[in-house]
Amino acid sequence: MTAIPLREMQKKVEALRSLPSSPAVLKPLLDVLHEPPDKVPIDKVVKLVSYEKTIAAQLLRIANSPLYGRTKPAESIQAAIFTLGIQRIEDILLSNCFSKMVPSDKWVVDPGVFWRHSFGCALVCREFAERIGYSDPDKAYLAGLLHDLGIIVNSLAFTEQYREVLAKAVEAGRPLDEQEEETLGFTHCQSGVILAKAWALPQAIRDVIEWHHTTTLAPAGNPLIALTHLADLLCRVRNLGYGYEEWRVVDLATDPGWIDLGEHCPKLATIDLARFTMDLDAYVVRITKLVDTIFSVN
Amino acid sequence: MPLDTQTPSKPAVVSSRDDDARDPVYLKIRDLVYQACGIYHSEEKLYLLAGACKRRMANTKGTDPRQYLDLLSGASTRVVELRELLNEITIGETCLFRSQPQLTALQNVILPELIATRGKIGLKKLKIWSAGCSTGEEPYTLAMFLIEQSEKLLKGWTFEIQATDLNDRSVETAKAGIYGGYALRNTSDLYKRKYFGPAEGEKLRVNDEVRSRITFSRLNLNDDSKMLFMKGMDLIFCCNVLIYFDIASKRRVVQHFFSSLQAPGYFFLGHAESLYQVTDQFRLVHLPGTTTYLKGLPGSEGNPKP
Repeated sequence: MTAIPLREMQKKVEALRSLPSSPAVLKPLLDVLHEPPDKVPIDKVVKLVSYEKTIAAQLLRIANSPLYGRTKPAESIQAAIFTLGIQRIEDILLSNCFSKMVPSDKWVVDPGVFWRHSFGCALVCREFAERIGYSDPDKAYLAGLLHDLGIIVNSLAFTEQYREVLAKAVEAGRPLDEQEEETLGFTHCQSGVILAKAWALPQAIRDVIEWHHTTTLAPAGNPLIALTHLADLLCRVRNLGYGYEEWRVVDLATDPGWIDLGEHCPKLATIDLARFTMDLDAYVVRITKLVDTIFSVN
Repeated sequence: MPLDTQTPSKPAVVSSRDDDARDPVYLKIRDLVYQACGIYHSEEKLYLLAGACKRRMANTKGTDPRQYLDLLSGASTRVVELRELLNEITIGETCLFRSQPQLTALQNVILPELIATRGKIGLKKLKIWSAGCSTGEEPYTLAMFLIEQSEKLLKGWTFEIQATDLNDRSVETAKAGIYGGYALRNTSDLYKRKYFGPAEGEKLRVNDEVRSRITFSRLNLNDDSKMLFMKGMDLIFCCNVLIYFDIASKRRVVQHFFSSLQAPGYFFLGHAESLYQVTDQFRLVHLPGTTTYLKGLPGSEGNPKP
């Protein structure tokens, strides 16, 4: 198969913007949810959520699922939001928006696998940020959640070619981005950032989407890129990857991203990586439950 | 890449997890055990720690985990009680084919790398050390795994396994190579047929071909003069042994392991063990589903200081 010329790729991705199911409430909701935790205006969240009936119904179903162990069922959106917590709302919302964007026959990476990786990376980003004293753990969470937007883009815009990419990567046990580069001529980073820009996502998040596999080429001064890159690597070696194993030794301490992040967050030098890695196994359990709940009540 | 072994039985599922493990006192015990021994229980493994503590409480006639924490931290009781608790924690950890992710990573990542680097210098022999081999489960697993590779990855290669333990009786048991159903719970029927013969009752005995690949001997890891003779290793395994050492001896022993390894070479610990603050020479690296410590080529040793 021949690679897709970059110009053609860009055109196809930009055309995705006009998809009818692109998330209308996404931007305003992210804006309110990103107020400081004690300042999030619950009434505004309730209002925004109510615009999208399917989201509202889903929040209620998840809040009333056994995972949250309520004794009395939540009957209002407000009650559901209190049960789930603001952070979960954001997770459910984003996965709902993106899942709706992608018709079921267009998923290349299994959606359950994709969301386990995305939520996993989000959680690891936040936890990692907290442990190394990075100033904005919630932003790190969002970066982790959205870093692979390009995988959705590639699935939508280049479905057949992308199936081939995934099959080859699985067979060789090699990183997805390497296989994309070889087969398509571009990676999910390059295609993801085009959509991210069209959606006017914050610049810091766009940078993460664009550079998380090539940290050495990234613009300086945004530690979020290296942080997400490392969290992504950790997820992929710990059963929260793309559903297959990559056969290589991952040596974080000599990774350029590690060195870069250490310059911003000196506490990185003292992190107990063995312990952090073992803690990831507990996240796998937690995230699998969350993703299974989101999908089983869909 | 099937290894012809069954998937190791998973620990009890979350729903059957003991609710008592949610008692925050177990987090304190967890941290104390980690500080003192380097063995860690993440959130989803806490119920195992709680179980071990309860078995110890039953033996020490206590019921309150807070009292038990006092016992673990009391100046006159801590050394003995920690050792007892570690015994409970590691109980049942010895079986053949205990860590499937480790073997899969060896097959798919480590062996190909070693073959590439060692093959370049024309040396087609791998030296492996199972340090603290207990009753032999680990070295036999490695021997069977490597024999299985001898027609594939390791074609034209030989290997030698040194298996050592402090305890004479363990070494004797290991040499005999006789195992029952519990030790063989992760061993596939194919391997049982291929590498075992009958022994008394239901038990099986490791066959001579496998046994001939291993040299068993008694060795005290604290014996500096003897440790110096362990040289030119490609892989070292030391599972649930260092957890019994105090920090000073741990550092000395790990230093010996480091000197014993060729670079690049790998040092494997038990799956819940960590060398945090023990060494800055070995580097923790990740493999799918498992971790190992790397002795890098000269110039790439230790964690770079940011």
